[in-house]
Amino acid sequence: MKVLVINAGSSSLKYQLYNMQNETVLASGSVERIGMDSSIVTQEVPGRDETRDVSEILDHVTAIKRVVDMLTHAEHGVLERIEEIEAVGHRVVHGGEVFKQSVLVTDEVKLEIRRLFDLAPLHNPAHMMGITAVESNLPGVPQVVVFDTAFHQSMPKESYLYPIPTVLYRRHKIRRYGFHGTSHHYVSDQAAAFLEQPLESLKMVTCHIGNGASCTAIKDGKSFDTSMGLTPLEGLMMGTRSGDLDPAIVPFTMNKEELLLSEVNSMLNKHSGLMAVSGISSDMREIVEAMEDGDKNAKLAFDMYTYRLRKYIGAYAAAMNGLDVLVFTAGVGENSTHVRAAACEGLTFLGLELDHERNAVRSRQTRRISTDNSRITVLVVPTNEELLIARDTFSIVQDK
Amino acid sequence: MKVRKVGVVGMGTMGQGIAEMLAFKGLEVLAIEKSDEKITQAIRMIEHSLDKQIEKWALTQTEKKLVMNRIHPINNYAELAECELVIETVSEDLDTKLQIIAEIDKNCPPEVILASNTSTLSLTELASASSHPERVIGMHFIHPVFKIDLVEIVRGLKTSEDTFQRTKHFIEETIDKKGIMVFESPGFVTTRLICLHINEALHVLEEGVATAEDIDSAMRIGYSFQHGPFEMADRFGLDSVLAALEIMFRDYGELKYRPSIVLKKMVRAGQLGVKTGVGFFNYNEDGERI
Repeated sequence: MKVLVINAGSSSLKYQLYNMQNETVLASGSVERIGMDSSIVTQEVPGRDETRDVSEILDHVTAIKRVVDMLTHAEHGVLERIEEIEAVGHRVVHGGEVFKQSVLVTDEVKLEIRRLFDLAPLHNPAHMMGITAVESNLPGVPQVVVFDTAFHQSMPKESYLYPIPTVLYRRHKIRRYGFHGTSHHYVSDQAAAFLEQPLESLKMVTCHIGNGASCTAIKDGKSFDTSMGLTPLEGLMMGTRSGDLDPAIVPFTMNKEELLLSEVNSMLNKHSGLMAVSGISSDMREIVEAMEDGDKNAKLAFDMYTYRLRKYIGAYAAAMNGLDVLVFTAGVGENSTHVRAAACEGLTFLGLELDHERNAVRSRQTRRISTDNSRITVLVVPTNEELLIARDTFSIVQDK
Repeated sequence: MKVRKVGVVGMGTMGQGIAEMLAFKGLEVLAIEKSDEKITQAIRMIEHSLDKQIEKWALTQTEKKLVMNRIHPINNYAELAECELVIETVSEDLDTKLQIIAEIDKNCPPEVILASNTSTLSLTELASASSHPERVIGMHFIHPVFKIDLVEIVRGLKTSEDTFQRTKHFIEETIDKKGIMVFESPGFVTTRLICLHINEALHVLEEGVATAEDIDSAMRIGYSFQHGPFEMADRFGLDSVLAALEIMFRDYGELKYRPSIVLKKMVRAGQLGVKTGVGFFNYNEDGERI
């Protein structure tokens, strides 16, 4: 079965076409600048040159049409007929409390996703456009939605509720949802497979550290707690996001600086984190470079970032009364030896011993970076959210 | 027909604010002014305004670049033909507006909505300059456009239901502001009520009942206005307040609209508020009270 995976944003869209017989990527690409007269479709097919096409794409329906055209193109395509696409999987950021796992798209499911627009105003409407655009281009092809929040729906109440008036939870569903669930789910499965032990038997902390960053405590094979909350602003310090802070800072700053809600929101989401402290960049590679050149602010940003990460790992070890496996994934987690080393440095009291030689090796494979004697196994696991979406889509459509 | 490209004719304070807001919302903007110098100056002012927003953490450098890339200065009315909507924001003078509307009308196919940002003039009269008066409508934004999410949608006598519905959809769905429908009447709702409020405050001041500072505090703190009537007038520009009152005084013929003597005196003295640095209060270049 060939499965098309789609991640639709408001003005862009990414896609991968999988052959599920051997889980290989047949083609991947993106559509950028949807809504403009010079939209760009880019497609990569393993072993061939990249194809680029610039044309007017005013909406998602046309965007999906161009993707299908590209996939079935006589010269650049990989499919002979459009009918070869037997299922489509979508990434959806917010599944609220309703969706605890991936589901087949039905009218009721679409209605629920719409009801969740309030909780993810930037993402869910765009995903919905992707779903309807596929419907009009590939009528009758089953679609599956995979939610970023679904994996964390297993969190117990003490993890997901905020200590604020409960009426806010009842009225507006204000609670912790967590994000990056697809990635935490995928890497925890991979880690257990790598160690050849059942996931249920391991106490694990997975650190998804990219532009956004979150940590998840996994116990009995399920998400037990995670660092992001109602929105992806909570938790770890990130590239441009503050992560945890005293909520009183918000009204205090608004008053002192005469800020609007939108301004303080943008300050915490786009002007904080590594960017704010270093004054240089939100990109960890540039922070490390500047730090090595002796930049004090870059060093401070790095120290704050890794200190906050270490605190979360420690807190989750306490929350689970133990830790067997620590996993690093995503852009920074997979590539920054410095961040991994600094995060692990203060965890020796748990019996964690990092193998610095193993940590320094660059690779695209799942690998162990702790010593053989370390009480906690530390792994680097490359994430692959698209593959998990394709797998979920494949299995749901097959069982239909 | 979805609006993707908007023409803005007249790039004064309101034109700049409207162009900046539209580009921020992701629309392509074609901006036109009388001269190259004026348009260059307007673009510079928009850039300055975006920089101020970056200082307030409302925007990032990347977002600023995106916004600026969507604003295209043009020098030929014929180019407006590719827009779905054209908004004129030239000075509040009937003859100038009539001339501009006729010029836009000549260059744009009949399905293009032609909106005027007038705050006091008759839409029906403005529409008479168009060969398709049914596509002419009022779209009254309030300064600062970026922050104030209200637009008065003004129907002239001949404005068609289709034009109104498309405009309302644009206001509420595309640029995400609240649109209120008003029928043609001098000052509509906002200008009429707020100018009376300011004028009455001026009378209170004239009568020596309280100082400007205290009157402002009374309304700001007592009734949760963001600014009191005098700072509000300073921010609108005292000349604009005077002009609006004069039009309403003339059109309604009621004494309550007669502009206060203090207001006239200050306008004659060139103390126009924020834009000259001096009005009832003093302001720095960034428009902050000093």
